[in-house]
Amino acid sequence: MLGLLLLIAPASRTQAQDTAAGPLQTLLQAQADLVANASRGTVQQVLDALIASDLDGVPTLLTRWQARALYQRSSDGLFVYVETEGANPLTLIDIDTGAEVGTASSREVAQLRPNRGVQTVIASALVEFQLSSEDPADRLAALAAISRAPEDFHLPILQDLMATETDDDVLEVAEVLLPRLIIAFDRDDADRVAAIESLAGNVSIAARAALNPLLVTTTEVAASLPDGANIARVLEPGAGLSREAAYAMLVAAELAPPLIPRAQIRETLAAQVVDGRVGGLPVAQLNTEDARDRAYAALVAEGLAPPAPTDAEIDAAVSSHVFYEVYREPSQAVTTAARATLDGIETRVGLFRVLDLSLDGLSLASIYFLAAIGLAITFGVMGVINMAHGEFIMIGAYTGYVVQTLVPDYTLSIAIAIPLAFMVTFAGGVAMERLVIRWLYHRPLETLLATFGISIALQQIVRQIFGTQARPLTPPEWLAGSVSLNDVVSISSIRIAIFLLGVVFFVALWLTLNRTRLGLEVRAVTQNPRMAASMGINPDRINMLTFGLGSGIAGIAGVAIGLFAQVVPDLGSNYIVQSFMTVVVGGVGNIFGTLIGAGMIGGLQKYIEWLNPTNTLAAQTYMILFVILFIQFRPRGIIALRGRAAGD
Amino acid sequence: MENSIFVRNRSVPIFIGVLTLLAIAVTVLSEGYGTGALSVSFTKVLGMTLCLCLAALAMDLVWGYCGILSLGHFAFFGLGGYMIGMWLMTARTEQVVRANLQNAVIPPTEAEISAATASQIFSVVGATDWPWMWAASDSLILSLLLVVLVPGLLALVFGWLAFRSRVTGVYLSILTQAMTLALSLYLFQNDTGLRGNNGLSGLQNIPGLETVGQDRISIWFFWGSALALGLAYIGAAWMVSGKFGSIVRGIRDDEQRVRFLGYRVEVYKLFIFTFTGMLCGIAGALYYPQAGIINPDEIAPIASIYLAVWVAIGGRGRLYGAVIGAAVVSLLSTYFTGGRAPNLNLGLFTIDWVDWWPVLLGLGFVLVTLFAPKGLGGLVDVIVRKDRR
Repeated sequence: MLGLLLLIAPASRTQAQDTAAGPLQTLLQAQADLVANASRGTVQQVLDALIASDLDGVPTLLTRWQARALYQRSSDGLFVYVETEGANPLTLIDIDTGAEVGTASSREVAQLRPNRGVQTVIASALVEFQLSSEDPADRLAALAAISRAPEDFHLPILQDLMATETDDDVLEVAEVLLPRLIIAFDRDDADRVAAIESLAGNVSIAARAALNPLLVTTTEVAASLPDGANIARVLEPGAGLSREAAYAMLVAAELAPPLIPRAQIRETLAAQVVDGRVGGLPVAQLNTEDARDRAYAALVAEGLAPPAPTDAEIDAAVSSHVFYEVYREPSQAVTTAARATLDGIETRVGLFRVLDLSLDGLSLASIYFLAAIGLAITFGVMGVINMAHGEFIMIGAYTGYVVQTLVPDYTLSIAIAIPLAFMVTFAGGVAMERLVIRWLYHRPLETLLATFGISIALQQIVRQIFGTQARPLTPPEWLAGSVSLNDVVSISSIRIAIFLLGVVFFVALWLTLNRTRLGLEVRAVTQNPRMAASMGINPDRINMLTFGLGSGIAGIAGVAIGLFAQVVPDLGSNYIVQSFMTVVVGGVGNIFGTLIGAGMIGGLQKYIEWLNPTNTLAAQTYMILFVILFIQFRPRGIIALRGRAAGD
Repeated sequence: MENSIFVRNRSVPIFIGVLTLLAIAVTVLSEGYGTGALSVSFTKVLGMTLCLCLAALAMDLVWGYCGILSLGHFAFFGLGGYMIGMWLMTARTEQVVRANLQNAVIPPTEAEISAATASQIFSVVGATDWPWMWAASDSLILSLLLVVLVPGLLALVFGWLAFRSRVTGVYLSILTQAMTLALSLYLFQNDTGLRGNNGLSGLQNIPGLETVGQDRISIWFFWGSALALGLAYIGAAWMVSGKFGSIVRGIRDDEQRVRFLGYRVEVYKLFIFTFTGMLCGIAGALYYPQAGIINPDEIAPIASIYLAVWVAIGGRGRLYGAVIGAAVVSLLSTYFTGGRAPNLNLGLFTIDWVDWWPVLLGLGFVLVTLFAPKGLGGLVDVIVRKDRR
């Protein structure tokens, strides 16, 4: 058996050299010794040969080599890749074809371990090779790689590239990258300042990321201000820096003895108890800080504990040192320029933030508007408190979900769901009006109770049918992305769609109420049902249709809300209080009012969230408090009806 | 005696009689003092139901008599619970901390005990310091005062703002609902000092009564709840049967006319609103030590709507109606949602009460509103009228 192996071994060796010698392998074998024992000085020779060959496999080879994934088989000197380091046996892969050439134990192959210097040279060559590629996509990929982990050797390469580059896209990326590299790695401060100033007004995250590291400071303490340090500012103990913090810094710098914290006093005392007494006091008396201090002082006097610094000592230590913040960046010209440029950028960023915030507020406002507009009709125009309004929103969302399970195309299913949701909730609203609400027109507070009953019944029925877990209502793909102006201002497409839907609703509803026969009759019945009836209008029919319209709009709003919120049985109850507030703030009986109310509540909530971004609950709380106070000053809302129509 | 409230309002002696009989019956059947036929947990349910009846009584005063449909009275109820809960939790935790530190080599200072108590209570929300609102939590007397004062003050300020600007009817309802939502959202935040959505827990352990046992404590709380309900009933009956009651009912029926008669409507409404807010605070303070836990979910707007619904089902504008409504609906809800009600098999379809009870309850509200605007209390009218014939 052993003899057989020995016989085969030389045979396989010749085979490897004959058949597996692809162009890359041949190239490496020509300088096998330089490859296997690469040093910083000699590796360039190999790299030049590789780059000159312009073979497809070169980037992969360089990447693997740098990552120490290139191995050499001891038996025949063949260079191979190993993909999973540490596996046993190792799987060997041909460097030309990528095909498996066999397995070996870790003792039969040698891993090539280029040191840090060689790795840098290889990486540089790799970048250079990619940047010299004919394909602009390769060059862009190389630039992206530089951008992820910039190194000092990238700077000359990039400068060379910019001298010769002709592709506009690549040039654009390179021009963004160049100042970053200059700021980080150039040796000439004048060049760096120029690069910093070239970023003025650039609100991109990359620009801020290039400038911020320059302004990193460390807080230091010394007996006097050091010469030549780039000092950001001097801290005054008591003003910018608390006395305790200042002393803690002295302790950390070992310029003063540490304070003795309360817990340490207790532990020291506990360790020194002898016969139930410590420091001359019985243990039982040590339940006040005062007694403990006295006992500790006694221990210090006996030399059994380190003395705590007195207040006077602390003051003296603090006042005899200076505390200052010093920039990590040594050049003052650079930090000054960076500070000025960054301040300018931050002003612009602030302005864009306001714009972004306004867009957010607008989008939230359109959601509130959609949720509330149906209510503005049923509550605002008819004076009916419909607590089940939220459930109509929820039913609309579930209608969308059901349609999506039947129609797999998302665009088509939304197009079907919107009219269908309207029809379902319109029918529900009409049924509810006929069966319940019309008996209660003269008892408005009781409609609240009856519709609340309907609300919990509907919620529970939906829970029975669909379960409590959230159902997906997926927006079509063309609504999935977002539109961004720059790194600060962006808004998701779905929110734009909801905003547009809100605008469409508003216009359609306004036209319906003001330009159609139905609208005229609705307004007539609202203002004076008896007079309207005597003019030949059937108030029953109008009330029914109005209520159906309000409910139907809630259904459509439900589809829209379901696209970004989770479709759960209590979806609607999350919106009901806000919707009522929107209508009340805006002014009852007026869809313009609802529009303004939604704008105010949405904008206000986003603004408060911005003031306290960690806590959206707090934002809602303060927003509601604001609404309560607002109602004090305009009890009938922003747009109040006047005269008889205001009624009671 | 001619003018005594017991004579003028016949429901008072009947109600007090029934309540007394109930208290005696529960005591005789209880585990703590009697045969043990009633479990401790059911005794607690009964005691809690009496507290809900007290809240409903307050709701009836403010809505049934004064016409203010407040959707915020359960918030006052919850606030009362939070006020007593802070004391219960602080005192109980402090006892535990003291017991733990008892064997320390160096006896703990008061500051150390306080700090350890705070860190034990607030570690769940990642804090270690006492928030300002717990300042009174180490004193039972102060906490009991706050049970009344905090809901009362909130009701006073809110009512003053609302009534002053003549917010009435459905607007007021929505505004009170907004207040409730704001309060519950505020309490839901972890950093506002009341342990966020964890709420306060372990409230059934009454400090100083460790040796007594829940079987007796539950009876004591039942007695306390019954006493509070009885006193409140007498007080409410006295309030609504005199001139004050007539004015308040006048405000309900025609606010403008009462104002033109020269009465300061806002003052009456503010008084009723604040007084009932305080009543709800007391009810909550009695309820939550029996429930054992309070969290912001309890204060959610829906709870206040339920309170109104109980009153509507029981019958507005009659004090016993509110009590009957609250007792019947909350006991039935407990029974049907507790999972112990047998499923109803209708052949093709099995009705699982836990799932279908909310549907029936909701439809029940609709039917009562449509067909029995006087609620269950309307039945009493029918019986009384038959008697007289």
